[in-house]
Amino acid sequence: MNLILEKQALPGLLQSWREQYDVYVPQKMERFSHFMPLTEESVLVTGEPHNTRIPPKALFLPMTETLVKFTRFGGYEDAQQNVQPRVVFGIRPCDAQAIQLLDTSFIQEGYTDPLWLERREKTITIGLGCHQPCHNGFCTTVGYGPFNKSDLDALLTDLGDTYLVETLSEAGEACFQDLSPASDDIYEHALEIQQIAHDQMPVAFETENLKEKLEQNFNSKFWEEVSQSCLGCGVCTFLCPTCFCFDIVDETQRKQRVRNWDTCMFRTYSLEASGHNPRPSRVERTRQRLSHKFVYWLDQVNQIGCTGCGRCVRYCPVGIDIRAMLRQAQTLPFEVSHAV
Amino acid sequence: MQSEARSPYTPIPMHVLHAYYESTDRSLKTLELSFDHAADSQAFFQVFNPGQFCLLSVAGKGESALGVASAAWEGDFVRFTAQNVGSVTSALHALKAGDALGMRGPMGNGFPLDDWKSKNLVIIGGGCAFSTLYALTKHVHHEDHRGDYGKLTLVYGTRTSGLCMYKHDIAAWHEDEDMEIHQAIDVPEDNWLHHVGYVPDVVRQVAPSPVNAVAVVCGPPIMTKFTLPALVDLGFSPENIFTSLEKRMKCGIGKCGRCNLGPKYICKDGPVFSLAELNALPADL
Repeated sequence: MNLILEKQALPGLLQSWREQYDVYVPQKMERFSHFMPLTEESVLVTGEPHNTRIPPKALFLPMTETLVKFTRFGGYEDAQQNVQPRVVFGIRPCDAQAIQLLDTSFIQEGYTDPLWLERREKTITIGLGCHQPCHNGFCTTVGYGPFNKSDLDALLTDLGDTYLVETLSEAGEACFQDLSPASDDIYEHALEIQQIAHDQMPVAFETENLKEKLEQNFNSKFWEEVSQSCLGCGVCTFLCPTCFCFDIVDETQRKQRVRNWDTCMFRTYSLEASGHNPRPSRVERTRQRLSHKFVYWLDQVNQIGCTGCGRCVRYCPVGIDIRAMLRQAQTLPFEVSHAV
Repeated sequence: MQSEARSPYTPIPMHVLHAYYESTDRSLKTLELSFDHAADSQAFFQVFNPGQFCLLSVAGKGESALGVASAAWEGDFVRFTAQNVGSVTSALHALKAGDALGMRGPMGNGFPLDDWKSKNLVIIGGGCAFSTLYALTKHVHHEDHRGDYGKLTLVYGTRTSGLCMYKHDIAAWHEDEDMEIHQAIDVPEDNWLHHVGYVPDVVRQVAPSPVNAVAVVCGPPIMTKFTLPALVDLGFSPENIFTSLEKRMKCGIGKCGRCNLGPKYICKDGPVFSLAELNALPADL
C-alpha cells in the first residue's frame, strides 16, 4: 500500500507508537548518529546524508549480551532477555539488507540462535530510503540499492515536505493505518526520485569474476600489498553491518557467560591453545575479511556479504578503502572456471 | 542437535565419574562423565556418532572443544581426554570424581560410518588426536558392528611410549587377530617392540592396500600434512581419505565465525572432511 505522510506529523506518529512498542530512531550522539530509544525529548536525525556510525545490527546482536548464568551448585541456566515489541524507524536499506544476510546465519534449521530470533520476531523495521547518495557508499555496486526493500516492513521516500510510505507487510501497514493513500502521480514522482538516487550511486568496482579472482589468488602477493598499512584495529569489522563474529567469555564475578563482538582482524581471534595460528599476520586476516564477504557468502547463500554501506571506508583510521582493494583485485590474473 | 527447551549456548549438567591420567608425564587426563539427567543422556545417545565432539564447560574458566573418546555401547557415560595446555584444560585436569561440569554437544558430523560399510578401514592416529579414532575403533570392533566392515588396520604413533593413550585396550588389540595394529614412537626406547619413526613413514612401510578401503587420519597438523600425500601415493583416492580438523572454537554451532575454512565451519560442517572436500577449500589451517 502506498501512503502519504506529512513530515510535520512524523514526530507525533513516532510518539504514538510508544504506546505499544519500544521505538528506536537515529539520534545525535557526539559527532555521530545512533539508534537509541525514543523519548519525549528525542531529536530525530533523518536529514543527514550518511548512516549511523554503529549499524543497527547492534539492536539484534548487542555488542555484549549474557548467554548463560552460572547457578550456585555448578549448574547453568539460560540467560533471560527482556525484549519488548519494537519498532526500528529510519533504518537505511543497506542496513536492513544486512539484517537479512545475518538471518541466513543465525536462523538455520537445527542451528538457530534463540536470542537473535526473539529480537527479530519482535521487531518491526521501517526503512528510510536514501534520496541523496552518501559518501563512500556503494550499495548498487554490490547488487543492492538506496531504496532496496529487503527485510523492511515499510519504506519511506523523502519527497520534500512529505514522505511516501510503501508498506511491505501487515505489521508495516498497521503502523501507518491512519494515513491517506498516495495518488498515482505522487507514487510516480517517488519512483523517479528512487531511480535518480539509484543512478547517482557510482560504480565503485566491478563484481564480475571477482569471486574467482579472489579465490584463485589466495596465495598472491596482492594480500601483502593491500594489508600493509592496516593497523589491525578491527574498526572495519566492528562497524560492518554484516560482520557477526563474537567471542564467548566468562565473567566470574557476575557469574555469567557473555558474548561480545569479536573480529577476524585480531590475532587472538584464531589463535589456538597450542600456539598455532592459522591467520598469524594481518595478511591472512585481511584475506579472511575480504574473502568472507566476496567469496564465502556467495558460496553459502549466493549473495555478496557486503551491502555497500561504506562504514569500513569512512572510519578506517589509515584510510584503507575496500573499493580500491577490490579494484586492484580485479587486475589479478584468473582462469574462467567451467563449472558443470 | 538443538533441543527446544534449552538455549544451544547453555551446557547440560554433568558429573565426573572417573578421572585418571592417561600419560606418564601427566599431560593427558581422561574424564569419564555421567549425565545428571536421564533425558539429556537419551538425547545425547540418540544422535551421537563417533568423530563428534563436545564443548566441556568449567564455569568461570570457559569452554573447550574435545573429541568424544567413547563408543555408545560402552555405557551411559562420555569419555574425553584433555591435554593440559590452557586455562580451561588445566581446570579440567583439576577435576576429581564427583565434581560437576557442563557439556554441550554432541557437535559436528562425525565419521560417515554408513558410507564406510563393507569397506576395509585403515585408521591412522597420532598423539592425543587419537581420541576420536579410539571411539571409532571401539565402535567398529564391537561385535554388533564388526560384521559391517572389512579388514581393520590401526596405525598409532606417539612421541614416546609414555604418551600412548588407552594402553589397556591397545595392549589387548595387539593380541587380537581380528585387527592389524602398528604402534610407533618417534625416538627409540629400551624394550620397545614396535615401530620407531614418524607416522607418515610407518604408513608407507606398512603400506595398507587401497583396494575397497578408506583411510582416516587424525593427528597433529604436521603429521596429517605428510600422511595424506603418503596415502595418495599408496593409491587411496581423495574421496576415500578422511581427516578430522580442529580450529579455535567458541560457539560450536557455526555462529561465532572463527573456525571457518572458506565457506565451511569446522564445528558445524565438519570436523570430519574427506581429502576431496579439503582439496576444494582454501588452505586456511
